Amino acid sequence: MKDVDVLDDFDIEDYIRQDQMPHFLCPGCGHGIALRALMWAIHDLAIPKDKLAVVSGIGCSGRLSGYVDASTFHTTHGRPLAFATGLALARPDLHVIVISGDGDCLAIGGNHMIHSCRRNLNMTCMMLNNEIYGMTGGQVSPTTSSDRFTTTTPAGNTEPVFDACALAAAAGASFVGREVTLQILALRELLRDAIANDGFSFVEVISDCTEIYGRKNDLGASPEMMMSQKSSMRPFAYRNTVDVPFRPTGLKTGVLAKTDRPEYGKAYRAMTEKLRGKKGRG
Amino acid sequence: MTNPVQVPTNVLIVGVGGQGVIMVSKVLATLCQNHGYAVKQSEVHGMAKRGGAVFSHVRFGPQVWSPTIPEGEADVLVALEWAEGLRWLSFLKPDTGTFIADCQRIVPPFACRNRGRGAEASYAPQTPEEIIQQVHAGYAMDATTMATNLGNLRAANTVLLGALSTALDFAVDDWLATIPQFVPPASIDINLAAFAAGREWALAGEKRVDANAEGPHVSYTEIRHAQVDTVVEIVEERCKGCDICVKLCPERCLRLNDSLVAELVLPDLCTGCHMCEWLCPDFAISVTNTPVPEPA
Repeated sequence: MKDVDVLDDFDIEDYIRQDQMPHFLCPGCGHGIALRALMWAIHDLAIPKDKLAVVSGIGCSGRLSGYVDASTFHTTHGRPLAFATGLALARPDLHVIVISGDGDCLAIGGNHMIHSCRRNLNMTCMMLNNEIYGMTGGQVSPTTSSDRFTTTTPAGNTEPVFDACALAAAAGASFVGREVTLQILALRELLRDAIANDGFSFVEVISDCTEIYGRKNDLGASPEMMMSQKSSMRPFAYRNTVDVPFRPTGLKTGVLAKTDRPEYGKAYRAMTEKLRGKKGRG
Repeated sequence: MTNPVQVPTNVLIVGVGGQGVIMVSKVLATLCQNHGYAVKQSEVHGMAKRGGAVFSHVRFGPQVWSPTIPEGEADVLVALEWAEGLRWLSFLKPDTGTFIADCQRIVPPFACRNRGRGAEASYAPQTPEEIIQQVHAGYAMDATTMATNLGNLRAANTVLLGALSTALDFAVDDWLATIPQFVPPASIDINLAAFAAGREWALAGEKRVDANAEGPHVSYTEIRHAQVDTVVEIVEERCKGCDICVKLCPERCLRLNDSLVAELVLPDLCTGCHMCEWLCPDFAISVTNTPVPEPA
Protein backbone atom coordinates (compact mmCIF):
# COMPACT_ATOMS: atom_id res chain seq x y z
CA MET A 1 0.00 0.00 0.00
CA LYS A 2 1.64 3.16 -1.14
CA ASP A 3 -0.60 5.72 0.51
CA VAL A 4 -2.48 6.52 3.65
CA ASP A 5 -5.98 6.76 2.25
CA VAL A 6 -7.90 3.69 1.23
CA LEU A 7 -8.43 4.80 -2.34
CA ASP A 8 -4.79 4.67 -3.10
CA ASP A 9 -3.54 1.14 -2.92
CA PHE A 10 -4.19 1.06 -6.66
CA ASP A 11 -1.19 1.70 -8.88
CA ILE A 12 -1.83 1.76 -12.62
CA GLU A 13 1.79 0.71 -13.24
CA ASP A 14 0.95 -2.78 -11.96
CA TYR A 15 -1.63 -3.25 -14.69
CA ILE A 16 -0.03 -1.86 -17.83
CA ARG A 17 2.76 -3.18 -20.04
CA GLN A 18 5.67 -0.93 -19.19
CA ASP A 19 7.53 -1.68 -22.43
CA GLN A 20 4.60 -0.25 -24.43
CA MET A 21 4.62 3.10 -22.70
CA PRO A 22 4.17 5.91 -23.54
CA HIS A 23 1.05 4.89 -25.41
CA PHE A 24 0.21 6.06 -28.91
CA LEU A 25 -2.90 8.11 -28.01
CA CYS A 26 -2.95 11.81 -28.89
CA PRO A 27 -2.39 14.40 -26.14
CA GLY A 28 -5.56 14.81 -24.11
CA CYS A 29 -7.35 11.72 -25.40
CA GLY A 30 -9.88 10.53 -22.83
CA HIS A 31 -9.26 6.89 -23.64
CA GLY A 32 -6.31 6.81 -21.26
CA ILE A 33 -8.53 7.95 -18.40
CA ALA A 34 -11.11 5.30 -19.28
CA LEU A 35 -8.38 2.67 -19.27
CA ARG A 36 -7.29 3.77 -15.81
CA ALA A 37 -10.87 3.56 -14.55
CA LEU A 38 -11.22 0.06 -16.02
CA MET A 39 -8.00 -1.14 -14.44
CA TRP A 40 -9.01 0.44 -11.17
CA ALA A 41 -12.33 -1.40 -11.23
CA ILE A 42 -10.50 -4.66 -11.93
CA HIS A 43 -8.18 -3.92 -9.04
CA ASP A 44 -11.17 -3.26 -6.76
CA LEU A 45 -12.69 -6.61 -7.70
CA ALA A 46 -9.31 -8.32 -7.10
CA ILE A 47 -9.45 -10.14 -10.42
CA PRO A 48 -6.14 -11.96 -11.00
CA LYS A 49 -4.42 -11.13 -14.26
CA ASP A 50 -4.58 -14.68 -15.57
CA LYS A 51 -8.37 -14.65 -15.18
CA LEU A 52 -8.75 -11.43 -17.12
CA ALA A 53 -9.23 -11.34 -20.89
CA VAL A 54 -9.40 -8.00 -22.65
CA VAL A 55 -10.68 -8.09 -26.23
CA SER A 56 -10.70 -5.12 -28.56
CA GLY A 57 -11.38 -4.31 -32.18
CA ILE A 58 -9.84 -1.73 -34.47
CA GLY A 59 -9.45 1.96 -33.87
CA CYS A 60 -8.01 4.12 -31.13
CA SER A 61 -10.00 2.13 -28.58
CA GLY A 62 -8.77 -1.10 -30.14
CA ARG A 63 -5.21 -0.30 -29.28
CA LEU A 64 -5.96 -0.13 -25.57
CA SER A 65 -5.95 -3.91 -25.12
CA GLY A 66 -2.29 -3.90 -26.10
CA TYR A 67 -1.42 -1.81 -23.05
CA VAL A 68 -3.13 -4.07 -20.52
CA ASP A 69 -0.87 -6.53 -18.76
CA ALA A 70 -3.26 -9.51 -18.97
CA SER A 71 -4.55 -11.91 -21.62
CA THR A 72 -5.43 -9.61 -24.47
CA PHE A 73 -6.87 -10.12 -27.90
CA HIS A 74 -6.72 -7.53 -30.68
CA THR A 75 -9.35 -8.57 -33.24
CA THR A 76 -10.87 -7.39 -36.50
CA HIS A 77 -12.88 -4.22 -36.99
CA GLY A 78 -16.28 -4.40 -35.35
CA ARG A 79 -15.95 -8.01 -34.26
CA PRO A 80 -14.51 -7.93 -30.73
CA LEU A 81 -17.90 -8.97 -29.33
CA ALA A 82 -18.04 -11.96 -31.68
CA PHE A 83 -14.55 -13.08 -30.66
CA ALA A 84 -15.37 -12.44 -27.02
CA THR A 85 -18.55 -14.50 -27.28
CA GLY A 86 -16.51 -17.54 -28.32
CA LEU A 87 -14.00 -16.85 -25.59
CA ALA A 88 -16.63 -16.49 -22.88
CA LEU A 89 -18.41 -19.69 -23.96
CA ALA A 90 -15.19 -21.70 -24.07
CA ARG A 91 -13.69 -20.29 -20.89
CA PRO A 92 -16.45 -19.34 -18.43
CA ASP A 93 -13.80 -18.92 -15.72
CA LEU A 94 -12.43 -15.80 -17.44
CA HIS A 95 -13.64 -12.26 -16.89
CA VAL A 96 -14.10 -11.14 -20.47
CA ILE A 97 -13.95 -7.39 -21.08
CA VAL A 98 -14.46 -5.87 -24.50
CA ILE A 99 -13.09 -2.43 -25.28
CA SER A 100 -14.75 -1.00 -28.33
CA GLY A 101 -15.26 2.36 -29.97
CA ASP A 102 -18.42 4.02 -31.17
CA GLY A 103 -17.77 3.23 -34.83
CA ASP A 104 -16.45 -0.22 -34.01
CA CYS A 105 -19.38 -1.14 -31.79
CA LEU A 106 -22.35 0.66 -33.33
CA ALA A 107 -21.63 0.90 -37.04
CA ILE A 108 -19.29 -1.83 -38.23
CA GLY A 109 -20.12 -4.22 -35.42
CA GLY A 110 -23.66 -3.02 -34.80
CA ASN A 111 -25.17 -6.40 -35.49
CA HIS A 112 -22.77 -8.16 -33.16
CA MET A 113 -23.57 -5.65 -30.49
CA ILE A 114 -27.34 -6.11 -30.54
CA HIS A 115 -27.03 -9.90 -30.60
CA SER A 116 -24.55 -9.89 -27.75
CA CYS A 117 -27.08 -7.87 -25.78
CA ARG A 118 -29.81 -10.31 -26.76
CA ARG A 119 -27.82 -13.38 -25.67
CA ASN A 120 -26.86 -11.80 -22.38
CA LEU A 121 -23.62 -13.74 -22.14
CA ASN A 122 -21.48 -12.90 -19.12
CA MET A 123 -19.09 -10.22 -20.34
CA THR A 124 -18.59 -6.48 -20.14
CA CYS A 125 -18.48 -4.15 -23.12
CA MET A 126 -16.89 -0.76 -22.51
CA MET A 127 -17.74 1.41 -25.49
CA LEU A 128 -15.58 4.52 -25.73
CA ASN A 129 -17.71 7.12 -27.46
CA ASN A 130 -15.64 9.96 -28.87
CA GLU A 131 -18.16 10.70 -31.65
CA ILE A 132 -15.69 10.04 -34.44
CA TYR A 133 -13.61 7.47 -36.29
CA GLY A 134 -10.34 8.87 -35.03
CA MET A 135 -7.69 6.48 -36.24
CA THR A 136 -9.07 5.89 -39.72
CA GLY A 137 -9.05 9.58 -40.56
CA GLY A 138 -11.90 11.37 -38.85
CA GLN A 139 -14.98 10.03 -40.62
CA VAL A 140 -18.51 10.54 -39.31
CA SER A 141 -19.70 7.89 -36.86
CA PRO A 142 -23.22 6.94 -35.73
CA THR A 143 -22.78 9.02 -32.58
CA THR A 144 -21.41 12.21 -34.16
CA SER A 145 -23.62 15.05 -32.95
CA SER A 146 -25.63 16.92 -35.53
CA ASP A 147 -24.02 19.85 -37.39
CA ARG A 148 -20.50 18.71 -36.46
CA PHE A 149 -17.80 18.74 -39.12
CA THR A 150 -15.86 15.60 -39.99
CA THR A 151 -13.81 14.62 -43.02
CA THR A 152 -16.85 12.91 -44.57
CA THR A 153 -19.31 15.62 -43.55
CA PRO A 154 -17.47 18.78 -44.60
CA ALA A 155 -20.67 20.83 -44.47
CA GLY A 156 -21.84 19.45 -41.12
CA ASN A 157 -23.44 16.20 -40.05
CA THR A 158 -27.13 15.85 -40.81
CA GLU A 159 -27.61 12.23 -39.72
CA PRO A 160 -29.60 11.44 -36.60
CA VAL A 161 -27.52 10.37 -33.60
CA PHE A 162 -27.60 6.90 -32.08
CA ASP A 163 -28.21 6.57 -28.33
CA ALA A 164 -26.07 3.51 -27.65
CA CYS A 165 -27.41 2.91 -24.15
CA ALA A 166 -31.03 3.00 -25.26
CA LEU A 167 -30.14 0.53 -28.01
CA ALA A 168 -28.35 -1.82 -25.61
CA ALA A 169 -31.17 -1.71 -23.10
CA ALA A 170 -33.77 -2.37 -25.78
CA ALA A 171 -31.73 -5.25 -27.16
CA GLY A 172 -31.69 -6.87 -23.73
CA ALA A 173 -28.36 -6.12 -22.04
CA SER A 174 -28.79 -6.84 -18.34
CA PHE A 175 -26.67 -3.86 -17.21
CA VAL A 176 -26.45 -0.57 -19.08
CA GLY A 177 -24.65 2.53 -17.86
CA ARG A 178 -23.03 5.72 -19.06
CA GLU A 179 -20.40 8.02 -17.59
CA VAL A 180 -18.04 10.78 -18.68
CA THR A 181 -14.27 10.47 -18.28
CA LEU A 182 -14.05 13.51 -16.04
CA GLN A 183 -16.02 11.66 -13.35
CA ILE A 184 -13.40 8.96 -13.03
CA LEU A 185 -14.48 7.78 -9.58
CA ALA A 186 -18.07 7.35 -10.73
CA LEU A 187 -16.83 5.66 -13.88
CA ARG A 188 -14.73 3.27 -11.85
CA GLU A 189 -17.73 2.41 -9.69
CA LEU A 190 -19.93 1.91 -12.75
CA LEU A 191 -17.38 -0.38 -14.38
CA ARG A 192 -16.99 -2.30 -11.15
CA ASP A 193 -20.73 -2.94 -11.00
CA ALA A 194 -20.75 -3.81 -14.69
CA ILE A 195 -17.99 -6.40 -14.37
CA ALA A 196 -19.60 -7.87 -11.25
CA ASN A 197 -22.94 -8.18 -13.05
CA ASP A 198 -23.78 -11.71 -14.18
CA GLY A 199 -24.77 -11.14 -17.79
CA PHE A 200 -23.98 -8.78 -20.62
CA SER A 201 -23.00 -5.36 -19.30
CA PHE A 202 -22.77 -2.37 -21.59
CA VAL A 203 -21.01 0.79 -20.43
CA GLU A 204 -20.79 3.84 -22.65
CA VAL A 205 -17.88 6.11 -21.73
CA ILE A 206 -18.12 9.61 -23.16
CA SER A 207 -14.54 10.30 -24.18
CA ASP A 208 -12.99 13.22 -26.00
CA CYS A 209 -11.15 13.30 -29.30
CA THR A 210 -9.22 16.53 -29.15
CA GLU A 211 -6.99 16.34 -32.19
CA ILE A 212 -9.34 15.16 -34.89
CA TYR A 213 -12.83 16.03 -33.67
CA GLY A 214 -12.43 18.86 -31.18
CA ARG A 215 -10.02 20.85 -33.29
CA LYS A 216 -12.18 20.63 -36.42
CA ASN A 217 -15.28 21.68 -34.51
CA ASP A 218 -13.67 24.35 -32.36
CA LEU A 219 -14.56 22.57 -29.14
CA GLY A 220 -11.44 23.69 -27.30
CA ALA A 221 -8.66 21.61 -25.80
CA SER A 222 -9.31 18.45 -23.85
CA PRO A 223 -9.94 20.08 -20.44
CA GLU A 224 -12.63 22.26 -21.99
CA MET A 225 -14.13 19.30 -23.83
CA MET A 226 -14.20 17.20 -20.69
CA MET A 227 -15.84 19.97 -18.69
CA SER A 228 -18.48 20.62 -21.33
CA GLN A 229 -19.23 16.91 -21.62
CA LYS A 230 -19.76 16.73 -17.92
CA SER A 231 -22.00 19.78 -17.80
CA SER A 232 -24.14 18.55 -20.67
CA MET A 233 -24.92 15.32 -18.83
CA ARG A 234 -27.73 14.91 -16.42
CA PRO A 235 -26.50 12.99 -13.38
CA PHE A 236 -28.60 10.16 -12.04
CA ALA A 237 -29.41 11.88 -8.76
CA TYR A 238 -30.89 14.93 -10.50
CA ARG A 239 -32.70 13.03 -13.16
CA ASN A 240 -36.17 13.77 -11.92
CA THR A 241 -35.53 17.06 -10.20
CA VAL A 242 -33.70 19.23 -12.73
CA ASP A 243 -35.95 20.33 -15.49
CA VAL A 244 -35.07 20.03 -19.14
CA PRO A 245 -34.49 23.74 -19.88
CA PHE A 246 -31.35 23.71 -17.75
CA ARG A 247 -29.71 20.98 -19.79
CA PRO A 248 -29.08 21.21 -23.51
CA THR A 249 -29.12 17.45 -23.90
CA GLY A 250 -31.15 14.81 -22.17
CA LEU A 251 -28.29 12.33 -21.88
CA LYS A 252 -28.18 10.65 -18.51
CA THR A 253 -25.26 9.18 -16.62
CA GLY A 254 -25.14 6.40 -14.09
CA VAL A 255 -26.85 3.00 -14.27
CA LEU A 256 -29.54 3.32 -16.90
CA ALA A 257 -30.96 -0.22 -17.03
CA LYS A 258 -30.60 -3.33 -14.92
CA THR A 259 -32.56 -6.54 -15.45
CA ASP A 260 -32.39 -10.10 -14.14
CA ARG A 261 -32.53 -11.83 -17.48
CA PRO A 262 -31.02 -15.35 -17.47
CA GLU A 263 -27.37 -15.47 -18.42
CA TYR A 264 -26.77 -17.33 -21.68
CA GLY A 265 -23.60 -19.22 -20.72
CA LYS A 266 -25.39 -21.15 -17.99
CA ALA A 267 -28.16 -22.25 -20.33
CA TYR A 268 -25.57 -23.23 -22.92
CA ARG A 269 -23.55 -25.30 -20.48
CA ALA A 270 -26.67 -26.97 -19.10
CA MET A 271 -27.56 -27.97 -22.66
CA THR A 272 -24.12 -29.43 -23.35
CA GLU A 273 -24.22 -31.38 -20.10
CA LYS A 274 -27.62 -32.77 -21.03
CA LEU A 275 -26.47 -33.85 -24.46
CA ARG A 276 -23.35 -35.44 -23.04
CA GLY A 277 -25.51 -37.36 -20.58
CA LYS A 278 -27.65 -38.70 -23.42
CA LYS A 279 -24.63 -40.09 -25.18
CA GLY A 280 -23.56 -41.78 -21.99
CA ARG A 281 -20.30 -39.90 -21.67
CA GLY A 282 -18.76 -38.23 -18.65
CA MET B 1 -35.21 44.71 30.16
CA THR B 2 -36.91 47.65 28.48
CA ASN B 3 -40.54 48.10 29.33
CA PRO B 4 -42.37 47.16 26.14
CA VAL B 5 -45.13 49.64 26.90
CA GLN B 6 -42.97 52.60 25.83
CA VAL B 7 -40.18 51.44 23.57
CA PRO B 8 -40.13 48.41 21.25
CA THR B 9 -38.45 45.31 22.57
CA ASN B 10 -35.98 43.82 20.11
CA VAL B 11 -35.32 40.11 19.82
CA LEU B 12 -32.82 38.90 17.26
CA ILE B 13 -32.84 35.21 16.38
CA VAL B 14 -29.94 33.83 14.34
CA GLY B 15 -28.86 30.39 13.23
CA VAL B 16 -28.22 28.12 10.31
CA GLY B 17 -30.76 27.14 7.70
CA GLY B 18 -32.83 24.15 8.78
CA GLN B 19 -32.51 24.68 12.53
CA GLY B 20 -35.85 26.40 13.07
CA VAL B 21 -34.98 30.09 13.35
CA ILE B 22 -38.18 31.09 11.60
CA MET B 23 -40.28 28.82 13.82
CA VAL B 24 -38.89 30.52 16.95
CA SER B 25 -39.61 33.96 15.57
CA LYS B 26 -43.12 32.97 14.50
CA VAL B 27 -43.96 31.70 17.98
CA LEU B 28 -42.66 34.89 19.51
CA ALA B 29 -44.41 37.17 17.02
CA THR B 30 -47.73 35.39 17.42
CA LEU B 31 -47.46 35.52 21.20
CA CYS B 32 -46.81 39.27 21.10
CA GLN B 33 -49.67 39.81 18.71
CA ASN B 34 -52.02 37.93 21.03
CA HIS B 35 -50.98 40.31 23.79
CA GLY B 36 -52.05 43.28 21.67
CA TYR B 37 -48.59 44.58 20.76
CA ALA B 38 -47.64 45.88 17.38
CA VAL B 39 -45.15 43.39 15.94
CA LYS B 40 -42.76 43.65 13.04
CA GLN B 41 -40.74 40.67 11.95
CA SER B 42 -38.18 40.66 9.18
CA GLU B 43 -36.07 37.77 8.14
CA VAL B 44 -33.55 36.63 5.59
CA HIS B 45 -33.78 32.97 4.84
CA GLY B 46 -34.45 32.40 1.15
CA MET B 47 -30.92 32.16 -0.20
CA ALA B 48 -29.57 30.39 2.85
CA LYS B 49 -31.44 27.16 2.16
CA ARG B 50 -30.22 24.40 4.40
CA GLY B 51 -26.84 25.16 5.88
CA GLY B 52 -26.65 28.89 5.18
CA ALA B 53 -26.95 31.77 7.61
CA VAL B 54 -30.48 32.72 8.66
CA PHE B 55 -31.57 35.60 10.86
CA SER B 56 -34.87 36.98 11.98
CA HIS B 57 -35.59 40.33 13.64
CA VAL B 58 -38.66 40.49 15.89
CA ARG B 59 -39.67 43.88 17.29
CA PHE B 60 -42.73 44.43 19.41
CA GLY B 61 -44.20 47.27 21.46
CA PRO B 62 -47.06 49.81 21.40
CA GLN B 63 -45.80 51.14 18.09
CA VAL B 64 -43.04 49.79 15.86
CA TRP B 65 -41.81 51.78 12.89
CA SER B 66 -38.81 50.01 11.43
CA PRO B 67 -38.75 46.25 10.95
CA THR B 68 -35.01 45.86 11.53
CA ILE B 69 -33.03 46.17 14.73
CA PRO B 70 -30.16 48.70 14.67
CA GLU B 71 -26.74 47.56 15.78
CA GLY B 72 -26.37 47.57 19.55
CA GLU B 73 -30.14 47.69 20.16
CA ALA B 74 -31.17 44.04 20.59
CA ASP B 75 -32.54 43.20 24.02
CA VAL B 76 -32.21 39.48 23.46
CA LEU B 77 -30.03 37.62 20.99
CA VAL B 78 -30.99 33.98 20.48
CA ALA B 79 -28.36 31.98 18.60
CA LEU B 80 -29.15 28.49 17.43
CA GLU B 81 -25.55 28.02 16.37
CA TRP B 82 -22.51 29.22 18.29
CA ALA B 83 -20.53 31.04 15.58
CA GLU B 84 -23.67 32.70 14.20
CA GLY B 85 -24.29 34.05 17.67
CA LEU B 86 -20.80 35.53 17.82
CA ARG B 87 -21.22 37.12 14.39
CA TRP B 88 -24.29 39.01 15.61
CA LEU B 89 -23.00 39.80 19.09
CA SER B 90 -22.47 43.49 18.22
CA PHE B 91 -26.25 43.85 17.80
CA LEU B 92 -26.80 43.11 21.48
CA LYS B 93 -27.28 46.04 23.88
CA PRO B 94 -23.88 46.22 25.57
CA ASP B 95 -25.16 47.00 29.08
CA THR B 96 -28.53 45.25 29.34
CA GLY B 97 -28.69 42.63 26.57
CA THR B 98 -29.25 38.93 27.12
CA PHE B 99 -27.37 36.39 25.04
CA ILE B 100 -28.91 32.92 24.71
CA ALA B 101 -26.88 30.50 22.60
CA ASP B 102 -26.72 26.86 21.74
CA CYS B 103 -23.12 25.69 21.79
CA GLN B 104 -23.70 23.45 18.84
CA ARG B 105 -21.07 24.01 16.17
CA ILE B 106 -21.94 23.82 12.51
CA VAL B 107 -18.72 24.63 10.71
CA PRO B 108 -19.41 26.54 7.49
CA PRO B 109 -17.41 25.87 4.32
CA PHE B 110 -15.63 29.22 4.48
CA ALA B 111 -14.05 28.19 7.76
CA CYS B 112 -12.26 25.46 5.82
CA ARG B 113 -10.57 27.65 3.24
CA ASN B 114 -7.20 26.07 3.83
CA ARG B 115 -7.76 22.81 1.99
CA GLY B 116 -4.40 21.30 2.85
CA ARG B 117 -4.67 18.03 4.64
CA GLY B 118 -4.30 18.41 8.37
CA ALA B 119 -5.22 22.10 8.14
CA GLU B 120 -7.34 23.47 10.94
CA ALA B 121 -10.77 24.95 10.34
CA SER B 122 -10.83 28.63 11.27
CA TYR B 123 -13.98 28.39 13.36
CA ALA B 124 -14.61 30.87 16.16
CA PRO B 125 -11.80 30.20 18.65
CA GLN B 126 -13.46 31.86 21.70
CA THR B 127 -14.71 29.51 24.37
CA PRO B 128 -18.28 29.91 25.68
CA GLU B 129 -16.86 30.96 29.09
CA GLU B 130 -15.00 33.90 27.55
CA ILE B 131 -18.05 35.13 25.68
CA ILE B 132 -20.49 34.74 28.56
CA GLN B 133 -18.20 36.84 30.77
CA GLN B 134 -18.38 39.67 28.23
CA VAL B 135 -22.17 40.02 28.05
CA HIS B 136 -24.60 41.43 30.61
CA ALA B 137 -26.60 38.22 30.89
CA GLY B 138 -25.74 35.07 29.04
CA TYR B 139 -26.67 31.44 28.73
CA ALA B 140 -24.45 29.04 26.79
CA MET B 141 -26.60 25.97 26.59
CA ASP B 142 -26.17 22.59 25.08
CA ALA B 143 -29.67 22.65 23.66
CA THR B 144 -28.91 20.06 21.03
CA THR B 145 -27.98 17.43 23.61
CA MET B 146 -30.97 18.37 25.74
CA ALA B 147 -33.26 17.92 22.75
CA THR B 148 -31.54 14.69 21.74
CA ASN B 149 -32.01 13.30 25.23
CA LEU B 150 -35.69 14.17 25.00
CA GLY B 151 -35.89 12.13 21.83
CA ASN B 152 -35.65 14.57 18.92
CA LEU B 153 -32.64 16.65 17.99
CA ARG B 154 -34.84 19.01 16.01
CA ALA B 155 -36.49 20.32 19.17
CA ALA B 156 -33.29 22.22 20.05
CA ASN B 157 -34.90 25.46 18.92
CA THR B 158 -37.75 24.94 21.39
CA VAL B 159 -35.22 24.42 24.20
CA LEU B 160 -33.84 27.87 23.38
CA LEU B 161 -37.39 29.19 23.24
CA GLY B 162 -37.75 27.99 26.82
CA ALA B 163 -34.66 29.95 27.80
CA LEU B 164 -35.97 32.98 25.89
CA SER B 165 -39.22 32.83 27.88
CA THR B 166 -37.29 33.68 31.05
CA ALA B 167 -36.03 36.91 29.48
CA LEU B 168 -39.46 38.22 28.42
CA ASP B 169 -42.53 39.08 30.51
CA PHE B 170 -45.06 36.62 29.21
CA ALA B 171 -46.84 33.95 31.23
CA VAL B 172 -45.63 30.41 30.77
CA ASP B 173 -49.12 29.21 29.84
CA ASP B 174 -49.26 31.68 26.96
CA TRP B 175 -46.04 30.27 25.56
CA LEU B 176 -47.29 26.71 25.99
CA ALA B 177 -50.51 27.61 24.19
CA THR B 178 -48.67 29.17 21.22
CA ILE B 179 -46.03 26.53 20.52
CA PRO B 180 -48.45 23.78 19.34
CA GLN B 181 -49.63 26.03 16.50
CA PHE B 182 -46.21 25.91 14.88
CA VAL B 183 -45.01 22.33 15.33
CA PRO B 184 -46.24 19.14 13.64
CA PRO B 185 -49.01 17.43 15.67
CA ALA B 186 -46.88 14.35 16.34
CA SER B 187 -44.12 16.38 18.00
CA ILE B 188 -46.21 18.68 20.23
CA ASP B 189 -45.41 16.73 23.41
CA ILE B 190 -41.70 16.62 22.80
CA ASN B 191 -41.62 20.35 22.01
CA LEU B 192 -43.48 21.20 25.21
CA ALA B 193 -41.03 19.05 27.16
CA ALA B 194 -38.13 20.76 25.40
CA PHE B 195 -39.57 24.16 26.28
CA ALA B 196 -39.84 23.17 29.93
CA ALA B 197 -36.30 21.82 29.97
CA GLY B 198 -34.87 25.00 28.44
CA ARG B 199 -36.82 27.23 30.82
CA GLU B 200 -35.77 25.21 33.84
CA TRP B 201 -32.12 25.35 32.78
CA ALA B 202 -32.20 29.13 32.28
CA LEU B 203 -34.02 29.81 35.58
CA ALA B 204 -31.19 28.11 37.47
CA GLY B 205 -29.06 31.25 37.10
CA GLU B 206 -27.55 33.78 34.77
CA LYS B 207 -24.15 33.72 33.12
CA ARG B 208 -24.09 29.99 32.92
CA VAL B 209 -22.21 27.70 30.62
CA ASP B 210 -23.37 24.15 30.18
CA ALA B 211 -20.85 21.60 31.34
CA ASN B 212 -21.12 19.79 27.99
CA ALA B 213 -21.01 23.06 26.09
CA GLU B 214 -18.26 22.00 23.79
CA GLY B 215 -19.35 18.42 23.96
CA PRO B 216 -20.13 15.91 21.28
CA HIS B 217 -21.42 18.21 18.55
CA VAL B 218 -18.35 18.34 16.43
CA SER B 219 -19.29 18.74 12.83
CA TYR B 220 -17.81 16.24 10.39
CA THR B 221 -15.86 19.04 8.70
CA GLU B 222 -13.78 19.28 11.85
CA ILE B 223 -12.53 15.73 11.59
CA ARG B 224 -8.92 16.27 10.74
CA HIS B 225 -7.06 14.13 8.31
CA ALA B 226 -3.67 12.87 9.34
CA GLN B 227 -1.02 15.30 8.23
CA VAL B 228 0.75 14.04 5.13
CA ASP B 229 3.77 14.78 3.00
CA THR B 230 2.71 14.91 -0.62
CA VAL B 231 5.10 14.04 -3.41
CA VAL B 232 3.98 14.61 -7.00
CA GLU B 233 6.11 12.76 -9.51
CA ILE B 234 5.76 13.62 -13.18
CA VAL B 235 7.38 11.32 -15.72
CA GLU B 236 8.61 13.68 -18.42
CA GLU B 237 8.92 11.01 -21.09
CA ARG B 238 5.21 10.20 -20.83
CA CYS B 239 3.77 13.72 -20.55
CA LYS B 240 2.32 14.94 -23.83
CA GLY B 241 1.41 18.42 -22.59
CA CYS B 242 -2.37 17.98 -22.95
CA ASP B 243 -3.08 20.58 -20.24
CA ILE B 244 -5.67 18.42 -18.42
CA CYS B 245 -3.82 18.40 -15.09
CA VAL B 246 -3.04 22.11 -15.34
CA LYS B 247 -6.62 23.16 -16.00
CA LEU B 248 -8.39 20.66 -13.75
CA CYS B 249 -6.18 20.93 -10.65
CA PRO B 250 -8.47 22.40 -7.95
CA GLU B 251 -5.56 24.39 -6.49
CA ARG B 252 -4.03 25.37 -9.85
CA CYS B 253 -0.55 24.43 -8.72
CA LEU B 254 0.67 22.91 -12.00
CA ARG B 255 1.94 24.64 -15.14
CA LEU B 256 3.24 23.57 -18.53
CA ASN B 257 6.90 24.50 -18.87
CA ASP B 258 8.62 25.71 -22.03
CA SER B 259 8.98 22.20 -23.41
CA LEU B 260 5.23 21.60 -22.79
CA VAL B 261 5.73 19.22 -19.91
CA ALA B 262 3.64 19.54 -16.77
CA GLU B 263 5.50 20.80 -13.76
CA LEU B 264 4.49 21.34 -10.14
CA VAL B 265 5.26 25.03 -9.60
CA LEU B 266 3.35 25.72 -6.39
CA PRO B 267 3.99 22.66 -4.22
CA ASP B 268 2.81 24.46 -1.09
CA LEU B 269 -0.72 24.72 -2.46
CA CYS B 270 -0.90 21.04 -3.38
CA THR B 271 -3.31 19.18 -1.11
CA GLY B 272 -2.50 15.73 -2.47
CA CYS B 273 -6.01 15.24 -3.83
CA HIS B 274 -4.85 12.94 -6.66
CA MET B 275 -6.96 14.72 -9.29
CA CYS B 276 -4.02 15.19 -11.66
CA GLU B 277 -2.96 11.59 -11.22
CA TRP B 278 -6.42 10.22 -11.92
CA LEU B 279 -7.15 12.40 -14.92
CA CYS B 280 -3.77 12.05 -16.62
CA PRO B 281 -4.51 10.04 -19.77
CA ASP B 282 -0.83 9.23 -20.18
CA PHE B 283 -0.24 7.79 -16.67
CA ALA B 284 2.56 10.31 -16.28
CA ILE B 285 1.70 11.62 -12.81
CA SER B 286 1.83 9.80 -9.53
CA VAL B 287 0.84 11.41 -6.23
CA THR B 288 2.07 9.82 -3.03
CA ASN B 289 0.92 10.90 0.40
CA THR B 290 3.01 9.64 3.27
CA PRO B 291 1.87 10.29 6.83
CA VAL B 292 3.91 12.70 8.88
CA PRO B 293 4.82 11.13 12.21
CA GLU B 294 3.01 12.81 15.12
CA PRO B 295 5.35 15.01 17.16
CA ALA B 296 6.00 13.24 20.45
